Amino acid sequence: MPHAQQDTPMLSLDRVTVNLGQRTFGPFSLAIQPGERVAVLGPSGAGKSTLLKLLARELSPASGHADFCQQPLQGWSLPDLSRRRAILPQSHEVAFGLPVDLVIGLGRVARMHDPSLASIVQQAAEQACAAHLLGRRFDTLSGGEKARVQMARVFAQLWDVEQGLLLVDEPLAALDPGLQFSLMEAIYTFAAKRGHAILAILHDINQALQGFERLLFIKHGAMVGDYQTPHVTLPLLEALYDVNLACAVTEAGEMIVAPSLKQRISA
Amino acid sequence: MSFLNMSQDDLAIIPARRQFLLQAGALAASVCLPQSLWAADKKSARRIVSIGGALTEIIYALGASQELAGVDTTSLYPEAATKLPSVGYARTLSSEGILALAPNHVIATEDAGPPAVLRQISAAGVPVTILAANDKFEGVLDRVARLGTLIDRPTQATQLVEKMKADWQRAREPILARKSPAPRVLFILSHSPGQVMVGGKGSSAEAMLHYVGAQNAVQGFDGFKPLTPEAVIAAQPDVVLFTDQGLSIVGGIDGVLKLPGVAQTPAGQKRRVASLEAMFMLGFGPRMPQALTALDNALLKVMST
Amino acid sequence: MTSRFTTGLLNRPVWFLWIVLLLCFWVAAWAGAVPVTADDWRVLWRHEEPLTSGAYVLWNLRLPRILFAALVGAVLGLSGALTQGLFRNPLADPGLLGVTSGAACAAALTIVVLAGSGIDIPIAWRFWVLPLTAFAGAVGVCLLLDTVARWLTADSIAGLLLTGIALNALAAAIIGLCTYLATDEQLRSLTFWTLGSLAGGSWSLVAALSLLLLAAIWYARRLVGAMNALALGEAAAAHVGIHVRHLRRCVIILVALLCGFSVAWCGVIGFIGLVAPHIVRLVVGPDQRRLVPLAMLVGAIILLVADTTARIVAIPAEIPVGIFTALLGAPFFLALLTSVRKGG
Repeated sequence: MPHAQQDTPMLSLDRVTVNLGQRTFGPFSLAIQPGERVAVLGPSGAGKSTLLKLLARELSPASGHADFCQQPLQGWSLPDLSRRRAILPQSHEVAFGLPVDLVIGLGRVARMHDPSLASIVQQAAEQACAAHLLGRRFDTLSGGEKARVQMARVFAQLWDVEQGLLLVDEPLAALDPGLQFSLMEAIYTFAAKRGHAILAILHDINQALQGFERLLFIKHGAMVGDYQTPHVTLPLLEALYDVNLACAVTEAGEMIVAPSLKQRISA
Repeated sequence: MSFLNMSQDDLAIIPARRQFLLQAGALAASVCLPQSLWAADKKSARRIVSIGGALTEIIYALGASQELAGVDTTSLYPEAATKLPSVGYARTLSSEGILALAPNHVIATEDAGPPAVLRQISAAGVPVTILAANDKFEGVLDRVARLGTLIDRPTQATQLVEKMKADWQRAREPILARKSPAPRVLFILSHSPGQVMVGGKGSSAEAMLHYVGAQNAVQGFDGFKPLTPEAVIAAQPDVVLFTDQGLSIVGGIDGVLKLPGVAQTPAGQKRRVASLEAMFMLGFGPRMPQALTALDNALLKVMST
Repeated sequence: MTSRFTTGLLNRPVWFLWIVLLLCFWVAAWAGAVPVTADDWRVLWRHEEPLTSGAYVLWNLRLPRILFAALVGAVLGLSGALTQGLFRNPLADPGLLGVTSGAACAAALTIVVLAGSGIDIPIAWRFWVLPLTAFAGAVGVCLLLDTVARWLTADSIAGLLLTGIALNALAAAIIGLCTYLATDEQLRSLTFWTLGSLAGGSWSLVAALSLLLLAAIWYARRLVGAMNALALGEAAAAHVGIHVRHLRRCVIILVALLCGFSVAWCGVIGFIGLVAPHIVRLVVGPDQRRLVPLAMLVGAIILLVADTTARIVAIPAEIPVGIFTALLGAPFFLALLTSVRKGG
C-alpha cells in the first residue's frame, strides 16, 4: 500500500498517532514530495481534519515520527515553519474590521524585515482574484470575497519561497462552482510555479479526481489507502464512503462520480 | 491601627521642608524653590479649615467662628456653618481647594483623607492636626481642651468644659436614680432605602444608649452591619431608634414596620419608634449633654405608650 | 511592522490629538481653586522670595497632578487597547474582565487581613505594600483569566467575557466581604480604592509612571504587529508564525503591570480602557499599530478633561473623578453597544 519513494520527501509521517479527547487517530504513514498535489478523502468524522491539524502542528503526535524537510516537525520554530508551510483554513472569519491589505499582509507578519511587503500583497491579491478588494474592510466582504482574501494571504505567506507546503482544509465548500474552479486553478498555478506541494482535504470527489495526482483515503481514524489518482476505482471509493456510486465518463475522458440511488453499474 | 492611613505621627516624620525640597529637587535640580507663603503666615489672622462636624461645633462654641475659613460636608451645626465654603466630603478632600482658602491650620478628625492630600497640605507648610475621637464623654471634653489650646482659647475651653460637665451631671442624675429595667433598643442607620444598617457592639450608638441607661439589643457583632430579619427578631428590641434623616428615608413609622422582622418585635407591635437628628445624637460634640437628655426623653416617651 | 508604529505617532490624527492634549494641559494648568498668574510660571528661573501661593500650587500640586492624570489616562488607554486586541473583542477592557477589580480586591484583602493580623510593617515599606499587592492581584486575575480562557472555553469570546464577569463578581464579593469585616478605620482606606482619585499625583510618581509608560510603549511596539494576526484566530495566528501563548503571556503581564500600577496609586478608574480604544477604532480602524498609540492619546485627553472637571466644578471641594469618567464613558458605551447591534 505505501507509495514507493525515490527522492527525499519534504514531509514524512512514520506511524504517527495522535490523541484527541478519548480517541486515538492513526497510525498515519505517508511521504509527500515537493510539488506533489495530494487530496485527502474520507467520510465526515473519519479524522481528515485531525490529520491536517497534526501537519499544521496544532496537535502533537502521541507516537511515531513526523518530519518536515528532514527535521522533526515539533523542532521547528513557528516563524521558520511559517516561511515553509501555509494553511488555508475552513473558516474565513477575522475579528474587527481589518482592512483587506492588512489581512493579506498578515501572512508575512513573522518576517521582521520585509521591504517588499507592499508589492507582494498586491501581487498575491491579483493572483487570488482579490486585487479589486484592496482598500475595503474585511467584514464588509461576501463569503466568496473573504475566501479570496484568505487565499491571497496564504499566497503572500509563501510568495517568495520555493518547495513549500500548502495545507488546504475544504476552503471552497460553500462557494459556487465557477468560483471554486477559478480559485482551485489559482492555487494550482501558484503552487506549481514555486514547487510547493499541496495537501488538501476535500469533500468533492470529482475535484479530487480532476485536480490531484494522489489521493489519501481516511476512514475510522486511520489511513486506509494511498493511491495514484489513475489507480482509483469506483469500488474503492464506494468502500470508503459506504455508498453506491454512479460513474460517467465525459467526452474529454474525465470521470464524474456521483452517489447512486439505483442498482450499482460497473465502471 | 491601620498602616495605610497617614497618622499624625507619620505626618510629623516627613518634615514639611524636606518633603518640599524633594519635590522641588525632582522639578529642577538646580532651582530650589523657597518655602511657601502659608508658613510665613503664622502671625497674621488665624484661618482654620475644620473637617468634622463635632470640631466645627466646638470651634463655634469656643467663639472662634470668625476664624473658620472652610468646613466639610458634615459640619451642619450651627446653621451658620453651612454658609461657609465647603471643602467637600471629608474622605475626598482636595489639596488645592483647601490651600485656596489660604488656611494656616487644618484641623480634622481621623475621617479626613485621602492621606496623600493631607501630606500635600502639610508639605505646603500648613499644619494638619488630627484630633481623633472616641465615643466617651471624657473624650469630648479632652477634644474641647485640645482644640482650645490649638486655637489659643484656653479659658473659653475651660469654661466650656466646666459647663458641659455641669450639664452632664444634670442629665445623668435622673438616669442614674431610675430603678426601672433598662429598655432594649435597636439602633438603625439608613443612608438609602436599600442600605439599612444596625448598630452592634462598640458602635457609637451603643455608647449613647449606655449613657441613657438603655441596653443595646444587638450583641452579636461589632460596629454597624447590614440589617437581617432574623437578627432583628432575635434582638427582641423594646424600642427602635433612628436618626431623623434615616427615619424619613425609610418612610416614617409605617416604613419602619415594613422593614423585615421589625413587625415581629415588641417595638414593632407597640409602634415604639424614636428618632433624633443624626449630628445631635451621634456627633459627640458640645451638645452631648443636651443630646443625652433628649434621647432619654424620647425613649421614655415611647416606652410609656 | 514596527516602522508603521513609529509613523503612527507622527501622522495626522496623531498631530491633531497632540494639539488637543496640549490645549487641555494649558486649560488644566490655569484652572483650579488657587489663581495662577503668568509670573507664577517664571519662578523656575527667577528666584523670588517669598513664593506666591499660585506658584507653589502650580509647581507642586497642579502640574504634577495634571501630568499624572494624562499619564494614567494613557496607561488605561494602552491597557484597554491591548486587552481588546488580545481577546479579539471590542467590548473587552481590563475593568470588564475583572483585572482592575482583582487589583482592588487584593488591596482590600491587604487592608483588612494583613492589617488585622497585627503584622507590623516598617514605615518605609508601608507606602509600597498596597501598590505591590494591587499589582499582584492584577497579575493573578490576568493569569487566571488566561488559563480559564485557554482550557475551559477554548476559542469562545462569549465564554471569556463570562469568565471575566464571574471573576469580577468574585472580586466584588471579596471586596464586599472585606468591607463587612473592616473596622471604621479600614473602611476609610477601602473607600479610596473604590472611588478612584488622582489626588496623590506627585513629581516622583510622574517620573515613575513616565518610565513605566516608556518601557511599555517600547515593549508594545514589538507586540502590536503580532496582535493584528490574533484577529485571524489563534490557530491561524500560529500558522503565520506567531507564538500565541507567548504573545498572550507578554500582553497579559504588560496589561497587569499597567493596570496594577494605575489601580495601586489611583484606585479604580473605569471606562477609559474601554472607551478610548473604541473611539480610535471608529476613526482610524482596527489596525493595532495605529490603534495602540492613538488610544493612549485619547485616554490621556479623556482622563485629563475628567479630572480637571472634577477639580473645578465644586471649588474648593473636589468630586471623585470616577463620576466624570463614567459620565463621559457611559454614553459612549451605549453608542458602542448600539453600533455593535447595528453591525450584526
